Amino acid sequence: MKNVILITIDCCRQDVFKCYGSQFELTPFMDSLENKCTTFTKAHSVGPYTKAAFPGLLASSYSMEYGWKDNCAKEWVLVSEVLSKNDIATAGFHSNPYLSGYFGWNRGWFVFMDSMKDKVTPEYPYLKGDIINKRVEKWIKFHAGSSNYKPFFLWVHYMDIHEPYVPKQEFLDADDPSLQLNEEQMFDLYKNVLLKRDTSNPETVLLLKKLYQAHAKETDRYVEQLFGILRELELQDDTVVIITSDHGDEFGEHGSLSHDSTMYSELVHVPLMVYEPDREGSNICSSLVSTVDVPPTIAKLFGVNPSENWKGQPLLPVEEYRIGGVFGEAPEKKGDKPPETIQEVHYYREGDLKMIYHEKKDSWELYDIAKDPGESRNIVADSGDAERMKEQILPRFQRSNR
Amino acid sequence: MTVMKEISEKRKRQCAKFVELSKKVVRDAFDKFGPEGIGITWTGGKDSGLTLWIIKMVCEEAKIPIPRTMIIGEGDEFEEIETFVGKMTKEWNVPLEWRRNEDVLKAANHTLNAPVKVEQLNERNQAELMRIGFMEDEFPFEAESYAGNHLMKTVVFNQWLEEYNLKAAVQGLRWDEHVSRFDDEYFEFKEAGHLIPEHTRIRPILHFTEKDLWDSYAAFGIPYCVLYEQGYRSLGAKTTTSKESDIPAWEQDLENTEERALRRQDKEEAMSRLRMLGYM
Repeated sequence: MKNVILITIDCCRQDVFKCYGSQFELTPFMDSLENKCTTFTKAHSVGPYTKAAFPGLLASSYSMEYGWKDNCAKEWVLVSEVLSKNDIATAGFHSNPYLSGYFGWNRGWFVFMDSMKDKVTPEYPYLKGDIINKRVEKWIKFHAGSSNYKPFFLWVHYMDIHEPYVPKQEFLDADDPSLQLNEEQMFDLYKNVLLKRDTSNPETVLLLKKLYQAHAKETDRYVEQLFGILRELELQDDTVVIITSDHGDEFGEHGSLSHDSTMYSELVHVPLMVYEPDREGSNICSSLVSTVDVPPTIAKLFGVNPSENWKGQPLLPVEEYRIGGVFGEAPEKKGDKPPETIQEVHYYREGDLKMIYHEKKDSWELYDIAKDPGESRNIVADSGDAERMKEQILPRFQRSNR
Repeated sequence: MTVMKEISEKRKRQCAKFVELSKKVVRDAFDKFGPEGIGITWTGGKDSGLTLWIIKMVCEEAKIPIPRTMIIGEGDEFEEIETFVGKMTKEWNVPLEWRRNEDVLKAANHTLNAPVKVEQLNERNQAELMRIGFMEDEFPFEAESYAGNHLMKTVVFNQWLEEYNLKAAVQGLRWDEHVSRFDDEYFEFKEAGHLIPEHTRIRPILHFTEKDLWDSYAAFGIPYCVLYEQGYRSLGAKTTTSKESDIPAWEQDLENTEERALRRQDKEEAMSRLRMLGYM
């Protein structure tokens, strides 16, 4: 039985990777894994920000399935809980406060390091990937060397791409004059432009994107480091690695920055690659899939039965995946203020059509992703499919109140 | 009383190995710092209790007395803990001292949840609050509040080290006991800082999981406080410790449920991070 590692990269857009179309060589290491990966080109997150996305990634559910909660809802069954009940060792390493033990995400983990007791700085309000990796290495060594060894499921979450984009010089393009900024200047951009969601100056938005991309390069390094740890411990041939993200980040595509509650592709299209050491040759899968499918995939890899509460299905083998529509949902949020009342946002995608509903504006948007990948032409008024697509969303709206 | 539970011979041998490893850490500590240079922290709880039992064994074998031991009186103790500690101190001949932040207790009039005004505190306590960045004028007298915890526990600990010129302190921490404990080492050197004396922290039972611990209690007949029989998994200050169950601690689902009840410090840490991430 192989071990499984789930790597989630906060804020990582799909288009950071070469296999998803990037021209920028940001992720040479992760790109190099292609021949042993199944790459899902149309993978979607169940939510556009961390708190709305992780119910899919770790509990195969949706953020408002049982009503929006501050904590990890008790009805969600985390993949860690399912696995640890089946004698698989489970460990989680991250530094995102929304997923901390305080909010109840530490259920079912043999070791859960949420780093909340660590000191951080305003420029890096999280733990850097190399520190996370050091702890991971220590745990794997301890675990793999113990007489109590069981196959393990490890979840590692890297925050390095998350704002306030303050990348180190070594990841910035030395030839680009616009990138001759010091830390303070980069942090000022964060405070004065990004936090205010100010897209009025396209050059500034482009600059922010370049800083973001530098962080993506940095993260690639940390993933490479993690694989190096596996190799040193001679576990690389015994471990399946899933690489994905919770959501992307906006760079003015729809007039905003960072990640709020719109459901456009810059936020809800996520990378999703499954690295298998025994795989020969890359497998590109363009079925519509969702991060809600990640926990069932992991359970299946361990030969463990899924929870009845889970809404997704195993991604592998891809031939057996039942193709259907994918959903996402979240409370409306803008900038750094939490909403006073919950107003829902939903999306449903089926084939190339995507419907988005905002309760706040009572607005419906329909896009043909194939013809209009930028989601700029709302065809809800003209499309014969509009009613059918609405019918998929309506039963989900406020469903926990019924 | 002792834990009533069947422990197989194989498991007993395994637990004995864990105990042996802890004893080695303790012996190393005695070699490095001398028994005179070491202080033992005790809470009356299961972790420091196991640690103390192990130290007692090492001392008996070496024919030396147990090093000076200290319990922090937070002003909010369970009576059951006090009773248990009193009993074990006599039985095991523990040179125990109860230590308290008398200044804070006085300012709070020994009343739980009473507001303590910072300006009423002595210079040391005020300096300590400044050191941790506590800027407000008052705080509630309870050990689980950020300021309260620091003054009632951390300051008392540091002052104890200073008074006896201790080079090292023993703590009953375990790796699996709380989030982010995993980084801890058996010996952790703490640099001298403002108001903190240089010292080494020694954690002989890091490698025990909660299950290993209770199985050891059962296998070796180690006494424990009756509260664990009543469902408490972890014991902090009386008013802020809660229990999720009424069955004995060792019968609860140790691997899949949380040991430590949520404490206010956890909330403050999480909130402070959220603020830094620009969300609040």
